[in-house]
Amino acid sequence: MKKGYIILIIIAVIVIGIFSWFKGTYNSLVTLEEGVSAQWSNVENQYQRRTDLIPNLVNTVKGYAEHEQSTLDAVTSARAKATQMQINVDDLNEETLARLNAVQGELSSALSRLMAISENYPDLKANENFRDLQAQLEGTENRIAVERRKFNDTARGYNTAIRQFPRNILASMFGFEKKPYFEAESGAEQAPEVQF
Amino acid sequence: MNKLTQHLKTVLAAFFLLLACMASAQEFPEPMQPRRLVNDFTGMFSPQETARLEQKLRRFNDTTSTQIAIAVVPSLHGYAPNDYAQRLAEQWGIGQQGKDNGILILLKPKTRDASGQVAITVGYGLEGVVPDAIASRIIRNEVIPAFQQGAYYAGIDRATTVLMQLTGGEFTAEQYARGGGNGIGWFLLPFFLIVFLAPLFRRRRGNYTADNRGSHGDFFPPFFFGGFGGSNSGGFGSFTSGSGTFGGFGGGSFGGGGASGEW
Repeated sequence: MKKGYIILIIIAVIVIGIFSWFKGTYNSLVTLEEGVSAQWSNVENQYQRRTDLIPNLVNTVKGYAEHEQSTLDAVTSARAKATQMQINVDDLNEETLARLNAVQGELSSALSRLMAISENYPDLKANENFRDLQAQLEGTENRIAVERRKFNDTARGYNTAIRQFPRNILASMFGFEKKPYFEAESGAEQAPEVQF
Repeated sequence: MNKLTQHLKTVLAAFFLLLACMASAQEFPEPMQPRRLVNDFTGMFSPQETARLEQKLRRFNDTTSTQIAIAVVPSLHGYAPNDYAQRLAEQWGIGQQGKDNGILILLKPKTRDASGQVAITVGYGLEGVVPDAIASRIIRNEVIPAFQQGAYYAGIDRATTVLMQLTGGEFTAEQYARGGGNGIGWFLLPFFLIVFLAPLFRRRRGNYTADNRGSHGDFFPPFFFGGFGGSNSGGFGSFTSGSGTFGGFGGGSFGGGGASGEW
């Protein structure tokens, strides 16, 4: 009789211990994953900010540089593609991120060509409205780089957490999947150039 | 003997680790000690100019909790000015945590073979009142023209004044873009009145409570007005006593908003 009680108590303690470990680990993983989601939406917001900027920019340049129709068209079509490409954080994996990178990278290079040709038009360069847009574009590019870097940091923390023993058991049970990273890319995340 | 080489290895490893730490610290320097808002690592400003800027920015920090910091660094280590400014500001944590109300003005002085760089990076919480286009205009209209004539202090003084007006709600970005920015004296008037009247009140209260711990030493501030009428805000810094201590940066965060320019 007495022995039965003791065994019961031991089992209860073990069950409670396991439960509280599960609860704590699971909740901390949920928190980390939510952090990744929040940071992902920050990245998307900055990409969105850039797409919102483009119609204004294209119209301003058009007024001064009519002969650059092909460059302007390239920006407009790259923008259209980028607008269609929205990734929900649940669908975020290596493959979808690579596609997003390709589309946004195309837009980046179309934009940098546009900014390069604008150098040839002194009137355009002197236009206050254009200079404001240029500053906004530069700021947005910088913001994109920052949010991508912060996303990588957040994702790295989460990925480390789900791969560590014994959390990895629980993570695989409940389907916590590894999040992909942004790769350093010319234009978006500038590698420091060496200066002497 | 074997033990000795072991020791030597440990020491060497520690040495290289230290070296590595120092290298990364040099790329993004730690804020100066004691804590201050104007961190001039190159001596671009004279001690008097630094003190004046420090006074001005510290007072603004005390009244609004918005931290406008200045960093002058000898090199950007190959980073773009905006990028470097954001990383440095984030590392220092300029502004208050949660409010993210910090601004960093980053300067890299002009040298014989490299142009000078300036960047204004704006914390998340101030992106609405200091949009990129406005930060760019401040650089183009206030900073660069003065800097090109070698008037570094004047350029930064003007830029900080405009930033204070924008973040203090005195001007909106639209008003500044339309060519505002001449009402500086009026903006500061309440400040001057408060500072002018505060000692009078304090003295009176001191009499009532008979608490006379050296309250005769209260400064009398009319010398203040000497600089007031001249340059728009140059006289601000002639204030040399009564400064509080600066508690350091509050852990604000930066998203990369702002602008940059070169001279």
